[in-house]
Amino acid sequence: MSTSFSLYIPRESGMHRLHPLTKLALVAFCLVLGLFLPGVWLTYLVFLLIIVPLAAWAGVLPPFLRAAFKTALPVVISVFLVQGLFWPGGTPILHLGPLSLKQEGLQFAIRSAGRFITVVSSFLLLTFTTRPDGLMLALSQRGFPNSIAYIMLATMQIVPRFQAKANTILDAQRSRGLETEGNLLVRLRALLPLVQPLLLGSIVDIEERAIALEVRAFGRQGPKTSLLVLRDTPAQRVLRWLLLLGMLAVIGWRLYLAIAPRLAA
Amino acid sequence: MERLRRDFSTITLVMIPVAIAINIAIGQLVYTLKVPLYLDSIGTIFVAAVAGPFAGMLTGALTNLVWGLSGINSFYTAFWITGAIIGLVAGLFSRFGWFKVWWRAIIAGVITGLIAAMVSAPILTYVNGGVTGSGTDVITAVFRNAGLGILPSAFAQGVSSDPLDKAISFFIVWGVIRALPLRFLDRFSRAEDIR
Repeated sequence: MSTSFSLYIPRESGMHRLHPLTKLALVAFCLVLGLFLPGVWLTYLVFLLIIVPLAAWAGVLPPFLRAAFKTALPVVISVFLVQGLFWPGGTPILHLGPLSLKQEGLQFAIRSAGRFITVVSSFLLLTFTTRPDGLMLALSQRGFPNSIAYIMLATMQIVPRFQAKANTILDAQRSRGLETEGNLLVRLRALLPLVQPLLLGSIVDIEERAIALEVRAFGRQGPKTSLLVLRDTPAQRVLRWLLLLGMLAVIGWRLYLAIAPRLAA
Repeated sequence: MERLRRDFSTITLVMIPVAIAINIAIGQLVYTLKVPLYLDSIGTIFVAAVAGPFAGMLTGALTNLVWGLSGINSFYTAFWITGAIIGLVAGLFSRFGWFKVWWRAIIAGVITGLIAAMVSAPILTYVNGGVTGSGTDVITAVFRNAGLGILPSAFAQGVSSDPLDKAISFFIVWGVIRALPLRFLDRFSRAEDIR
């Protein structure tokens, strides 16, 4: 996609037809599960039994898994290397030359990887199945400030243009003989002639845009109409409340697990 | 309330998406140059300097949310708190005139970087298992090997990169403010703090 800065994939699926707030509640539920479930393995179940089926239902499973894999892999590899091999004073279970894999470190790495995969894939699920403007409209209808919705949507439109501009400046400076490859000092010195035109050019532009918005009553208070119509159903409203209760229950369970031993002692 | 309304004037609201786009575009440009810096909060620091800590906070938080929820960099979403704190701290420095002199801007950047590392470390520890998935994890491994806890090691990793990164970012913003016409800067609510 070149016009918009998002991995959103339009599909005619049941998941896509859900009200944006329902999708937001589903994703928040997965996030809470990922962040607060106790133990080592439960978060992997959330990924396999909730997030992956939802992505499959939305018809975006292959690109979704690819994106999740790409984001999670460096962190997962690193957490196993850093925490698995360099855990201070752990029980060694496998010797690899001068280093050894520690049981405590391995357990921590498995738990952290599960949590990270669940958190990242929850966010990606929202991205792949929810139109940004639909989500912002749904939030504005519930009293979320219009100005924040404007900021989020305007940003998504501006970023691709800026990236194009950044590449143009990079090419222009290179054709004038600016060294952008070589040792660290050369690359650091290249930074200023690249960053400066991008910054000054884009900041000065905004004054005109501000005037254009002001004459169109941008700052006016009161309700605004939208071209986009969102569908909601009573069943979805019930589902959202249930998800909210579920989140509170998981957080409560985790708090109980943390506090109960201290109360008993 | 009145102060807030002036901070969030139309020109600030138009500036914020541009600032977020600057954060993202320069962040990715720096990434392609393979310089061990991020420079992904120049826009946030600029907004904080000209429109105060609240506008800075909003810019910082939304940068991470937009970048994260676009799916390009979903890793960033959880660090929206760090983004917000950078904007807040930069705005406070601006309030006390620290963007008027270049060396003060650099000191402010170093302090902001330390605070950013402090805020990021707990998130990094809880959500990412203490690692970033990038080259600086070597530092984390060294500190872990020396017997330090997960949180202190993650903080040490942040201290190795954030203060320098923010010092350079603050210096660039100082330069940008000098280069912009006063007539333009005067449209922002905190123009008197940076002149």
